[in-house]
Parts: sequence; C-alpha cells; structure tokens
Amino acid sequence: MNFFLSKKIVLVITPIVAVIVFFVFSSHQSVVDFNTQVKPIFNKKCITCHGGVRRKSGFSLLFRADALAKNKSGKPAIIPGDPDHSEMIRRLTVNDPDERMPYKHEPLNKQEIDILKRWIRQGAKWGDHWAYVAVEAVDIPKVETGWTKNEIDNFIYEKLEQERLKPSTEADKPTLLRRAALDLIGMPPPEKIASQFLNDNTSRAYETLIDSLLASRHFGGKWAAMWLDLARYADTKGYERDDSRSIWHYRDWLINAFNQDKPYDKFLTEQIAGDLLPDPTDDQYVATAFHRNTMTNDEGGTDNEEFRTAAVLDRVNTTWQALMGTTFGCVQCHSHPYDPFTHEEYYKFMAFFNDTRDEDTYDDYPLIRHFTDSMHQKLNSLTHWLQENVSAEKAIEVNRFLRTWQPSINSLTADQFVNSELADTKFLIFRNHAVARLKHVDLENKNLLIYRYISWKKDGIWAIHLDKPDGPVIKIISPDTTSNWKITETEIPVGSGIHDIYFTYTNPHLKKAEDNGQQIDWFYFTEQFPGKGKQGYDGNKKIFWSLLTVQVPTTPVMMDNPTWMHRTTNVFERGNWLVKGDVVRPAVPHALNPMPKNAPNNRLGLAMWITSKENPLTARTMINRVWEQLFGTGLAETLEDLGTQGIPPTHKELMDWLSWKFMNDYKWSVKKLLKEIVMSSTYTQDSKLSSESLEKDPFNKFYERGARVRLSAEQVRDEGLCISGLLNEKMFGSSVFPYQPKGIWLSPWNGAYWQKSEGQDQYRRALYTYWKRTAPYPSMMTFDGTAREVCAARRIRTNTPLQALVTLNDSAYLEMARHFAYRMEKAGKDLKQQISAGYELALYKPIPVSTLSVLLKLYDQSLQKFKKDKDKTCEMIGENDQHNNPETAALVVVANALLNLDEVITKN
Amino acid sequence: MGLGALAIGSLIGCRSRSSDGTSNVLFDPAHPLAPKLPPFPGKAKAVIYLHMAGAPSQLELFDYKPVLMKLDGQDCPESLLEGKRFAFIRGVPKMLGPQAKFAQHGESRAWVSEHLPHFSTIVDEVSFLKAVTTDQFNHAPAQLLVHSGSPRLGRPSMGSWVTYGLGTENQNLPGFVVLTSGGKFPDAGKSVWGSGFLPSVYQGVQCRSEGDPVLFIKDPEGMDRDLRKASIDAINEINRKEYDEYKDPEILSRISQYEMAYRMQISVPEVMNINDEPDYIHEMYGTKPNVACFANNVLLARKLVEKGVRFVQLFDWGWDSHGTDANLAIDIGFINKCRQVDKSMTALILDLKQRGLLEETLVIWGGEFGRTPMQENREGKQNIFKGRDHHTEAFTIWMAGAGIKKGGSYGETDEIGYSTISGKVEPFDVQATILNQLGFDHEKFTYQFQGRPYRLTDVKGRVIDEILS
Repeated sequence: MNFFLSKKIVLVITPIVAVIVFFVFSSHQSVVDFNTQVKPIFNKKCITCHGGVRRKSGFSLLFRADALAKNKSGKPAIIPGDPDHSEMIRRLTVNDPDERMPYKHEPLNKQEIDILKRWIRQGAKWGDHWAYVAVEAVDIPKVETGWTKNEIDNFIYEKLEQERLKPSTEADKPTLLRRAALDLIGMPPPEKIASQFLNDNTSRAYETLIDSLLASRHFGGKWAAMWLDLARYADTKGYERDDSRSIWHYRDWLINAFNQDKPYDKFLTEQIAGDLLPDPTDDQYVATAFHRNTMTNDEGGTDNEEFRTAAVLDRVNTTWQALMGTTFGCVQCHSHPYDPFTHEEYYKFMAFFNDTRDEDTYDDYPLIRHFTDSMHQKLNSLTHWLQENVSAEKAIEVNRFLRTWQPSINSLTADQFVNSELADTKFLIFRNHAVARLKHVDLENKNLLIYRYISWKKDGIWAIHLDKPDGPVIKIISPDTTSNWKITETEIPVGSGIHDIYFTYTNPHLKKAEDNGQQIDWFYFTEQFPGKGKQGYDGNKKIFWSLLTVQVPTTPVMMDNPTWMHRTTNVFERGNWLVKGDVVRPAVPHALNPMPKNAPNNRLGLAMWITSKENPLTARTMINRVWEQLFGTGLAETLEDLGTQGIPPTHKELMDWLSWKFMNDYKWSVKKLLKEIVMSSTYTQDSKLSSESLEKDPFNKFYERGARVRLSAEQVRDEGLCISGLLNEKMFGSSVFPYQPKGIWLSPWNGAYWQKSEGQDQYRRALYTYWKRTAPYPSMMTFDGTAREVCAARRIRTNTPLQALVTLNDSAYLEMARHFAYRMEKAGKDLKQQISAGYELALYKPIPVSTLSVLLKLYDQSLQKFKKDKDKTCEMIGENDQHNNPETAALVVVANALLNLDEVITKN
Repeated sequence: MGLGALAIGSLIGCRSRSSDGTSNVLFDPAHPLAPKLPPFPGKAKAVIYLHMAGAPSQLELFDYKPVLMKLDGQDCPESLLEGKRFAFIRGVPKMLGPQAKFAQHGESRAWVSEHLPHFSTIVDEVSFLKAVTTDQFNHAPAQLLVHSGSPRLGRPSMGSWVTYGLGTENQNLPGFVVLTSGGKFPDAGKSVWGSGFLPSVYQGVQCRSEGDPVLFIKDPEGMDRDLRKASIDAINEINRKEYDEYKDPEILSRISQYEMAYRMQISVPEVMNINDEPDYIHEMYGTKPNVACFANNVLLARKLVEKGVRFVQLFDWGWDSHGTDANLAIDIGFINKCRQVDKSMTALILDLKQRGLLEETLVIWGGEFGRTPMQENREGKQNIFKGRDHHTEAFTIWMAGAGIKKGGSYGETDEIGYSTISGKVEPFDVQATILNQLGFDHEKFTYQFQGRPYRLTDVKGRVIDEILS
C-alpha cells in the first residue's frame, strides 16, 4: 500500500519538477541546440518550401551557407547575432497574412519563435546530425544495482530507472537455450549443445552455451541469410526473362566469412573492392559478387546501357543503405531536402562504381572462372614461368585473362550496323555484306586477336578495317564453322594507338538477306603468347590454351576498366540517365569524413573510407542491425535510415559505446560483439509482459523484458526441419529445390521449371533454397521474405492468415509433421510420453498439464476418425509403410498442431 | 480478439509513425486489413483491372486510322524514326495499315473494330483514353510503371496501395486478388502485384483456377474439415493459455489469424467455384469448365467484388503481336486473343450493371504500351508474319463504372496513330484517377519509407476530369 502511495506522489511531483527545471533552463542564457531544437522546426515548418528542391525566394535552410546567403530580395534572411534585424524572424511574426510565414499555414508558436530568436542571437550555429558525427568513446553510466552483468546493462538500466521501470528476471534455461540458438545459429541447438547446457549446473553453463553456438558451423548460415537480403542475392537475373544465374559461390563465401569471423572491415573491403586488392584470390573476387547481385535484363530489345546504368545506381544505393544506413537514393534526382547530401555528390559517389567492366551482358561478364585444384596448379606454374621468363606485369595480365577472360571487348558495344545487328540485343551478328564498328580500341603493340564466336556457314570472309568501313584492311579471317561457342586466335599486324575498327563480312553461302553467318561474343586484342624461344614455351602455351578454353563454373564479379576503356561519369539531370550534365570524378560527400590519407581514388579507397574509424555510419549501422536481429527492433528502429528522417535511437549512447568497442576493442569481430550482447542481463530477461509493462513500455523500447519475436521465414522452415529430424545439415553448393506446388514458375520466354531436388537435398536449410526473383519460394514470401530485387534493409513483420495456411497445409510442413510424429513414437512408451517428448523436442521444457490434455483430446478425436476410415489414415501417412495405422495418423495431426503453436513459431 | 489487442493494435500503428509526424498509421499490424474510410467519399468501392499483358494493338481495336491504310507497304518516313528508339525495329521499316475493319457504334459513335463485336454494343458504358503514353518500351518495366508508378522493381503495386488505404470489406477473403490467364505470368512477374515497401500483408494474393485456388488453402489429404476445426481449436486453446502467461497481444492476433485462416478455407473455394453460377451467366461470359482462361477469371472477378474484395487484378498473357510467329501475328493470333476476351469483358460490364454494382466498381482495360504503325522488321529483316513493335507514344485504354463518364472519349492521335495530338495522359494520370474514384488525393496518399514520403504516382499524376461524369 505504501509502495503505491509513494509511487503516486512521485508521479505528481515529476511534472512539477519538470516545469521548474524548464523555467530555470529555458532562460535567455541557455544554449540552443541546433539538432534537437532548431532543425525539427525547420524540417516540420520550413523545409518543404525552403529546402533542396524548392528554394522559394532563393532561400534555403539546407546548409548554413545557403541560409545565411543573400536571397532574391538581396538581403540575407538570417543575420547571426541579430535576430531583431533578421528578415526570417520578421516574416515569422508579422501580421500581414501575405507576408507571414509559413505562408498560408499555421504560424509558429511562441516557444518556437523564441528558440529561433535565441539561436540567431547565439550566432545561428549549425549542428551536425548525430549519425554524421564520428563515433567517440562514451562514458559508462554509473548505476547502483546488482542486476548488471556487463556495461550494456548500465546503459539499459539507467534508462529504465529514468522511466521508473524495473528489469525482468532472467528467463528459464530452456527459453534461453532456444532463444540463443535461434539468434546465433538461426535454428534450434544441435542435440549435443542442448543437453550439455541443460545438464550443466555450474555458473559458467550459459557462457559455455554461447561459446559453443558461436563456434558452431551452423552460425554462418544464420548471418549469411541476414546478409543475403542486403546483398539482394538471388539465383536469377531478374526482369522479364529472369533466367538462372550462377552466383551461389558468393552465398558460400558469406557463410565462411561469418563462420571464420572475418573482421567486419575486411568483410566489407573484400565485398566492395576484393578485385582491387593486391594479387586477389578467387575468394576475394567472389566476395565482390556482392555488387553483381544487381539485376541483368535479358529481355529482347532492351537498351543494355540503360540497364547497366540501373545496376550501377543500385550499387550506389545499396552501398549506402546496407553498409551506412543512409537513403542516398533520395539525392538521385535532386539535392536532399533533409540530409546534407547534394545531387552532384550522388554522381561523384556513383563514379566509384561506374568504371567497371560489366555491361548488362547475357553471361553477366566479367566472371571469375572456378578452376579445379589441378587447373590452379597449372595456372600457378604458368604464372611463375611468365614471371621468370617474361615479366611480372605480363604474368599478372595473363593470369587475370585466364581467370576472367578480361579485359575483353563485349560485342554488344558494337554499333553502326549494316546487314548486321545485335541478335536479341545480346551478341553481334553478321549477315551477308555486313558492316559494324567497334569504337575506341587500343591496338598499341597488339599483334593477336582472341575472340569467342559461332560461325554457321563456311567460307565467310570477315575483314577488319582501320578507322573507316572501307579503311585499310589489317586482317581477313575465315573462321572455322562451329555451332557452339568457340574461342580462337588470329594474328594481326602490330598496331599502334587507339582506333575505331570496322568489320565487314561476306559469305557466298548466305542466299537470303536475313540469313545469319557469324556471331561474336567478345574480342581480346593482345600480344602473341610471350616468351618465344624460352625453355618451356610450347608447353606453357599449351597450358594457356587449355585453361583459356576449358569449361568451368563461374561467378559474376566486379572488375574495373583498363585505362583505355575508362568510362566518364556525368551528373544525370533530375536523375534522368539520358540527360547528362557535368562530368564528375569519384568523391565522397563533404558532410562526412574525408577520404583517408593514401586511399586511392577508386573502389578500394572507397572501402578504406567506409571502414575508416572516422566513418560515422558504418559501425553504427552494423550495431543497429545486429541488435535488431537479436531484439526484433534496432536501437534505432529505421535500420535503413539513421539520417534526420529516421527514427532516433532509443539508446544513442549505448549504440555509440558498442560501435566504439566494435571498432577498437573487438577489432571488428562480429562474434565478440554478439557475445557481449547475449551475455548481458538485458538479453537474458524473461519475455513475459505484465499489465504494467504493457502500459508503460508496450513495445519494449526500454528493454524492461526480453524480446518476443516471430521467427523469420528461414527460421520457421529450419526449425520445422530440425524438430522433425529431417534436416540435412549439408553445407554449401548450388541452390536446391525443395517441394513447391505446381504453377509457381511461369516466366515468359523462359522454359525453366521447378525440378524438385532428389533425396536429402529437399531438406536443406532455407538459405539454400533456389531464389527466383519474379517468383520466390512461396512460403518464404508469406513469412515476410523480400523479393531480393533491391537491397532490403529490414523485413516488416506481419501476422496473416496466409502464414497459418503455410504451416498448417503446405505439403512441406505436412511431411515435417509426419516425421515429427515418427520421432515422437520412438521417444516414448505411451502416448502421454510421446506427446510430452514432442513438446520437449520443440521447446526443451516439460509440457504443461493443460497443454498435454488439449493435445490428448485432439489425438482422441483424430484416432476415432482414422479408426473408421482406412483411406484417410493412408492419406495422412502419405505412404503405405509401417506407419500406416490410425494411431500414427492421429499423432501426425498432433505433430501438425505442435508445429503451429505460437510458442513454436515465436522466439520467446 | 480482446479489446486489449485492439488498443495495442492502434498503438503499434503509432509506432510506425516516423519522427517528423508523417504517418503510416493506416497500418495496424493487429488488423492490417480492417476496412477503413477514404479521406473523401469515393465513387468506387472496388476495382477490377483487366491487363492485356504484352500490349494489344490500339490500331486494330479502337484507334481508327484510314490514312495509315493508304500508306500500307510504304517506307516509313525518316521523320518518324529520327532520334527514336524501338525495341526491335531497325533501319527503315514499312508502314502497316490497320488489319481490321472499323465501324462506329452506339450513341457515342465510338470507333471499334470488327474484332470486338460484343464490346462494340456497350461503348456507351465506357470512356476511352486514346492518347495514353509511357516512357518504357519493354514489357516488364512498362507493366511495373502501369501498376506501381515506377519502371524499376521495389515499389508497391496499385492494389497494395488500395488495400493498405482502404482495407477490405470481407475479412474471410484476401483484399487484393490476382488472376492470370494465357498460360504465363505477366513479364514483370509477381512484382506487378507485390507490396514493395508496404507490409507484405498487402501484396496481391494469387487465386488460381488450377490446383489450390489460393496456395495451401486445402487441408492436407486425410484431414477432413472436422479434424481441421479440432486442430485449430486445439492450437488456439494452447495459444490462449500462452497468452495468459505472456500477455503478449501478438498472441491474440495469431489466434484470430488462425480463425480467419479456417474461415478462408471455406470462403475462398466457395467464391472460386463458378460451377454454381446459372447457365445464362456462363453463356454470357463464355466460360470454359475447369481451365485457367480469361473468361472464367472475369466471372470470378465479378464474384469476388460482389463478396467484398477490394481490388481484383487480371492479367491475360499473349498480346505481344510482333509477327514473329502465327500466334503473335496481328492478323492471326491477335484475332484469337480478341475472341478470347471480347465476350467476357462485355459480359462483365453488363453483369455488374444488372446487379447494380457498376456504379461502385471501377473497371479498367488496357496494356502496358501500344504498337507501332510500322510493321516490325526485327534486326532489320521483315518478320515472317505481320506484326507491330512496341510503341510508347500512343495507345488506348478504357475505363467504366464508378463515376466514369458513359460514352466518353478523351485524347487524339495523329492521322497514322503515331503520336498524340491532344489529351495526352500517362499511367500516372490513370493511377491518380483510379485513386480519386476511390476517395484519395493521390498527392496526399503517401507512405513514409527510406526517409521520405512515397506515393503511387511518384512526382506526377493528374486526375483525368475529362472522363469523369
């Protein structure tokens, strides 16, 4: 009683104190904070008309320089230090409705005007948004409580105290076990880890559990699945035809990177610029597939440059969205009305990505060619031989060409067609009396042309002219006929300088004007295989050709243009790629940290900038993302936007403290970061709500209890497979095709169909499921998966009847229920034991009596049915084997119900 | 569902309110599809959008061009080709005269070709937009533009916007239903009915004529309705106990979703079964038993709207008349496509009218762009059959019902149907008009995402008052 009384008094006193405090501190002397006091007024009342897009009367409040500059009237609106003569204040307070601002809207209130006046008097200082200021060391709040286990708890407890909330008690062991496993490895704990924890009564039990989960090989699967949304990973190219693309090596790279705890700065560097690292390994190339998950348009008649450009823009937007929690795409069309980024800066940033070899080709060039070990040995010995006998540069050049077929000229860049064309807008094709041009080819010292082609008719005469269609012929070729792609070479006279090259082609066997003679994929102008006369020349040349032409799996990768292919970047006026404005060079926005010293002005330098400790966004974004994975909501809810339009963090100091630790103490180790968080009292709290918490903290913003979140699409499937014992723990490899209803895939112009995987491949973890962009796996989409068309920084959780239909009726889940029932039968002697065992298999704790009785009743109802109906029994079991009896069928119904319990599809 | 859940639902809605006060308050996770009133009273309660995927030729249907007939077979003048980009036409193509006879119909004297004999009897019910343009000349981006206001993937489709804004009248059916025919999905795939950045609950639910009408709607074999009822009761009973322990309102929401799932399992197959319709209705629509065809889908659309579904989106694939084979020939396959849709789309208007539903149901018919007045010469060669290439500068769509002018027509093209000369509209204008008929100002109907308010019409759009009654 006393307790309640005192609490009431506190409630009454608090506002009074607050009012007094307000009066004391809002005196004219107190310093106005731009970010928290002034900027919100601007954003709410002024910026729509006086921002980046509209600058009515030439007045803009976006940057300080703009705001203080003279506007159309010739006078500045703000005179620092002198509110009484500042036009802005006059216009906010004047009575004439034609003059008074905001024009035709509610006037500002007294407090707002007072803030602005004081702000101008104090010098109209601009402030930077918190997320654009570098992370600094943060003092840990001192709190007096026995509740804290590590520093995270100090931050949380301080806020709880301020809000007069109390943390919850620790969750029971089964709940912690399941929670930590779902969070860290994305699925229920492996049996060994589970039993060890449940039987360990020492004080170190929980930490041992965490260490085992972090060391588990399943760890990478969970975190890779998260990253795949950011990387917009899919197994198809997107758009109309949505053909298959082989890029799963990137998914495997992610799993390995997380499992090996690759430091986050290195993890990002390799994805952004692995190809620019010295002597890049195949793995480092594969990492750059991060930005080759952009879509490629194979639809006939498309402009390849349009879709190349779309991919580059997507890389810019994804880099900001995924790695720096910023919606940079906003300035694609015009300067940002709210955040300090300009339209021009967008295109300067784009210039980092715009000079790459990819050109929306059908084969997704450039690719890394995955050689077998023995091929790699050959390549290494060839490279070594070149280093010894020719030069280090030549060795690098040849090595790169064999691994990537680059830098070759894609035939789809040809133009000036006469009787020739890009077949299906993909490959240069010659008909009789054809002419076509290749622009701007570097022939300096080149005496060999290697090319990939198809030639349907013999006796074709293909001539290469310099500079003009009837210019000097440097070579006449009559390629062998072949109906499959073939790579071959032809000698050309030693060239000099850069030229436009014209091809002509005639063939006496082409009778009709529309008959095709020859088709070319790419051209590579080079020098004859070097080292002639040196020992081992013949053998190494042979190796060169065998490696060049061998068919191997590939992965699309990033690679920059050589100098002579350099592509300039222009500003796109109002975001329209066809309207090119000023030429720009690569640069990062002024509002953030400068490029680090010694950073090259390319993607590698960009990666150094992103992973610099001075970058205010990178660490914070990752901290926020990891927090969201564990607690269901980020410290700042808008993972996609830490800018002024995002929702501010609930615990900014904690975010900064963790960011600082992440960079400096953990040296960017994600596993260390995770351990710190899951070891906190904050994380291990019970997730039950009380009526008080429901009232005071309904969304758990202050973390007065543990998180309670529905499982992700992947977790729902993985858990079902684990509980039923069906999970195939195999890792890596090309994507798989688990059961999917008929008629999901119907892409036009694409004969592909869903061929269900054989045997155990049907039961792989969800992240191995083949992801088709235009028709993703249905149950994943129902549980809020994203289509992976563009980067998705956050999944919005929903709760719909269609989700219920998946876990109730999808054949994949029915099969899980069957196997779950068989597992239950084995686990207990009688029915009660069996159902109890099933519940424990799912939730690691004994079944409550009331739950057991509900399920026993369901079993009885089912059994009565099946006893009377052999056919239904048979259908429920699905196969005519030893399980075909009414008892098992009834247990399948119970298993199906268990898999649908809220507790089972929720992380408690 | 208890009151607690209701209260919490509205609070959760507040949570997605962004910092500057712009709100996504229409999203209530506990009742994401609860019916909501539009900002102002709209004429339309429901929308049926008939999309002819592949883009039908306006020159063989509605845009009568006798001058083009005279130019048939002549080289296309350079002036029409300069600075233009086509999907497949290269070099200098030949002009292709209309491959159909035209006549004027009804009191509105609307020109309709012989390919649509049924439709020509109801021209006085519809308004034509004859000068629609787009800037996308490939199917997938153009379809996305029509349905999501952006040629790129990632934006919510119109149906998603509408169900987000209005919810749905019938909680036992999805609010936004998609029906496809023609054997393929539209070129842009499921993204044309995707929810983009809106919560996934607003994505279109594909109802199918073959297999389960909605994915996973059928109970597993061996489980009859009683048993399913018993198992959902058991699940919910255990979940209620869990709620008593955890007090998490999300559990109550899950309980109600399982109840709704059970009801949907009954109501969806019911509404998707057209066999109960009387013979004269089948005759009127020209349905075919047990196949996924346009006529069946149109009848389904009427049934769905009648039952309170908010937005029904039909895609019929196969209108891409390039002339590369007989099916895609403007004088062969195209005529078959017309036959497949003529009777049923006419029946839809008449049937809605006789049920008094036309006044509150907006019907839109159209493709994603038009076809060229020139004959396609793919890769510079004459195609084997007569066909037309993609054309962005002029095409026709029609709208009917829910406050659309009867017997109206807006916009004109030049004498060969190449360019618009008056009354030009873009997909954004059509979207603005559709939203307007539903009671939304398209400029104010926004969703906060990635730091800024997004709207269906991007930064464009004008309500086409000229076709409103």
